[in-house]
Amino acid sequence: MPQTETYILNMGPQHPSTHGVLRVNLELDGERILRATPMMGYLHRGIEKLLEARTYVQGVPYTDRLDYVSSMNNNFGYCRAVEELAGIEVPERAEYIRVIMAELNRIASHQVFIGSLANDLGASTGMLYTFRDREEILDLFDLVCGARMTFHYIRVGGVARDLPPEFAEKCRKFLDRVPEFTAEYANLLMGNEIFQRRLKGVSRLTPEQALAHNMTGPNIRATGIPFDIRKVDGYSVYPRFGFEVPVGENGDNWDRFQVRFREITESARIVRQALDGLPEGPVMAKFPKMLKPPQGEVFSRTEGTRGELGFYIVSDGTAKPYRVHIRRPSFINMQALDDMCRGYLIGDSVVAFSAIDPLMGEVDC
Amino acid sequence: MNAMLENGVVATVAGVLREYLMLLFGNQFLTDLIMKFIGIGAVIGVILSAAIVFTYAERKVCAFIQVRLGPNRVGGRFGLLQPFADMLKLMSKEDIIPAGCDRVVWALSPMLLFVPSALAYAFFPFDKGAVFADVNVGVFLLIAISSQAVLPFLMGGYASNSKYAMIGGMRTVAQMLSYEAPMVFSLLGIVMLTGSLKMSDIVAVQADNVWFVLLQPVAFVIFVITATAETNRTPFDLVEGESEIVAGAFAEYSGMRWALFFLAEYANLLAVSILTTTFFLGGWSGPVLPGVVWFWLKALFMVFFFMWLRWTLPRTRIDQMLSLSWKVLLPLALANVMCTGIGVYIYRWL
Amino acid sequence: MKDYIGAPLLAALQQAFPSAEYDSEAAQPAVFVPAAELTALLTFLRDDGRFGFARLENLTAVDYKTYFEMVYHLFAWGANTWITVKVKLDHEAPSVPSVTGVFPGAAFEEREVYDLMGIEFSGHPDLRRILLAEDFTGHPLRKDYRQAAPPKVPRLRREGGRVYAAD
Repeated sequence: MPQTETYILNMGPQHPSTHGVLRVNLELDGERILRATPMMGYLHRGIEKLLEARTYVQGVPYTDRLDYVSSMNNNFGYCRAVEELAGIEVPERAEYIRVIMAELNRIASHQVFIGSLANDLGASTGMLYTFRDREEILDLFDLVCGARMTFHYIRVGGVARDLPPEFAEKCRKFLDRVPEFTAEYANLLMGNEIFQRRLKGVSRLTPEQALAHNMTGPNIRATGIPFDIRKVDGYSVYPRFGFEVPVGENGDNWDRFQVRFREITESARIVRQALDGLPEGPVMAKFPKMLKPPQGEVFSRTEGTRGELGFYIVSDGTAKPYRVHIRRPSFINMQALDDMCRGYLIGDSVVAFSAIDPLMGEVDC
Repeated sequence: MNAMLENGVVATVAGVLREYLMLLFGNQFLTDLIMKFIGIGAVIGVILSAAIVFTYAERKVCAFIQVRLGPNRVGGRFGLLQPFADMLKLMSKEDIIPAGCDRVVWALSPMLLFVPSALAYAFFPFDKGAVFADVNVGVFLLIAISSQAVLPFLMGGYASNSKYAMIGGMRTVAQMLSYEAPMVFSLLGIVMLTGSLKMSDIVAVQADNVWFVLLQPVAFVIFVITATAETNRTPFDLVEGESEIVAGAFAEYSGMRWALFFLAEYANLLAVSILTTTFFLGGWSGPVLPGVVWFWLKALFMVFFFMWLRWTLPRTRIDQMLSLSWKVLLPLALANVMCTGIGVYIYRWL
Repeated sequence: MKDYIGAPLLAALQQAFPSAEYDSEAAQPAVFVPAAELTALLTFLRDDGRFGFARLENLTAVDYKTYFEMVYHLFAWGANTWITVKVKLDHEAPSVPSVTGVFPGAAFEEREVYDLMGIEFSGHPDLRRILLAEDFTGHPLRKDYRQAAPPKVPRLRREGGRVYAAD
């Protein structure tokens, strides 16, 4: 009787499809995965500690480096938390601009997701197409704030500067292109038999499992739970816009893809409504230069592109926060990786990493 | 000129050369020997230049499909010198030998891989009368030789002392063995129609009648699918699976050793394109233009077709790949053989 | 936290857990509970029909120099109300029961707190460092954490193509 053993395959931190520096220990029986243990920390920079040593306003650029694919959403989340703590009233125009930026960034981030998912499936062409279209959004950001990756545009009290006059027109031009390129992605990927067979029924999670793992964002919505902070909390000016929350049915990778794919269209709808209703006025609230929020604490959350992005800030009445904790959605979503990989094949594991859509800058913080 | 078209350009040139050598040496045996060496040189030349052309072509085709420009710096606007730059880079790279590898097996693997891919070229009818070895069991020998490519992959995967390489090696065996069967059966129909295993006969029959792609469309589809799998190209690139198992069996190779794998890959790509051309697209047959031109036109179109597939499709999964072979392609190929047999019988009876 | 749990419910909570304390004057009072009763309280908050705090949105710890404070933010989706539960811990050997039995999704966050704050979670299924290396010493998010000086690298001086140690 020959003896058989399982073996450990160490995927990452240098691996083409672990999205940065994720490392996963796979216990394998042949090609089948028995256990997947994510190991992280290769990109840990101690942002929470760094924020304790900066003033509240100086902290904003650090949040850019959390989830560097959707920096605007991070800025947004952090600024909302500080404003709530300090009781700053943000001008309406600034809120509208923030929503426009956050939603544009959501589209860009989902494009990266679709592209990298396609790339992990071996169809590297899909990636080039999504990145080509993402470039248009980056151009818009470039126009607004002069940066393409880490924007530092949404600031405490409002936004850094008003929109340039040509922004509205260029943004509308981009929005008109959205149906065009989503149709192109659908053509390129979704109709493909191999693509469907690789995603459908793979890495299934039940709603109960997703809730137990405390998942948020598109990952939980794929299981059919319409948990979207934009609807649940109705923060900022989101209640003024009509948009749907796409949900999946089976909680498999196909639904995770579908949810994000449909969110692109919904985000575009929000941006268009925000552009239409953009009020005039200042874009920055008036508050003392040296911001000293009263003693207290706040937990504020927003819907980041990867899920619920929460900031817990404790103030001791000085100019620097006493403690900042960031609830990073990618980090918590990673808990589901084991359930998503167990019993599937090596080829499915990279798709599972991709489908959770973790960003190591955010996971490792 | 007419004679050249009648007998094929390559054969005519070879004939002239042979007469000249005969005059020079006056010895039949020596002339034959030299002619054989010239033939070997020509075939190796074809393989090497194919590798050079295809590295460039693959980049350009890929760029075209991916809305990019591709190489455009080295050697003018079109980056024509890119393959040479690649070659220089590969040659100047450090030869990294992984710790704990089986040195002999590890070093042998890339060399051995190149052998079957090069050997297969001996049987290709490049033009009328231009076959290096026109043996009467051509198809059989070809399949026998090409199936030897499994071993070097397994050797490389085993000897590298790397888990990714080992998985890659295992996958190669599973993939190549299971796609060998439908490939052979898809060719059986053609052999039945021709009544010969000789490569030149197969082309000659197509030149006289119709291309076999019309008579054997199912076999053609099966052959193209299995050929993609045999060359380990997307959607069946599980063996390399860049995003899964990094580079599979040759994950641990670098520099010139890796270049040999690369060379074998392109030699295989051209080989399956030539096979498709020979078996299904009428080989060198075609109107007006000389046979050798037709041959290369068809072969290069098939090369483009395989590149097109590679840069369009995602990768399948190992279980899907195997079940496609055993549950779909093999029964289909067998049914095709059966139908062909019945068809041939009825045709004879008529 | 837009809608905080109301005063009547807080009173009901205190009735069920007499050891739980909160500041009835504050706008959004955190409920302080002794470590021993934490899991019972969270289970109660999760399962009792009046509360229904089925989501643990955030778990973290704060170092107040003389004591640690575990912070749990719970959210009741549907009623859209919030509650903050806190546990005060001794600064010398902080230890708290793990809540992974109540909210399995807290596993990584507890590991993170263990890693960066150095708080022990009794009953945690897999309590290891998560962000820092296994052999790391110290807990960086503590206020008294001082980073060890980087190793001294000898400075080099270059003279005429040769390199000398410049001490």
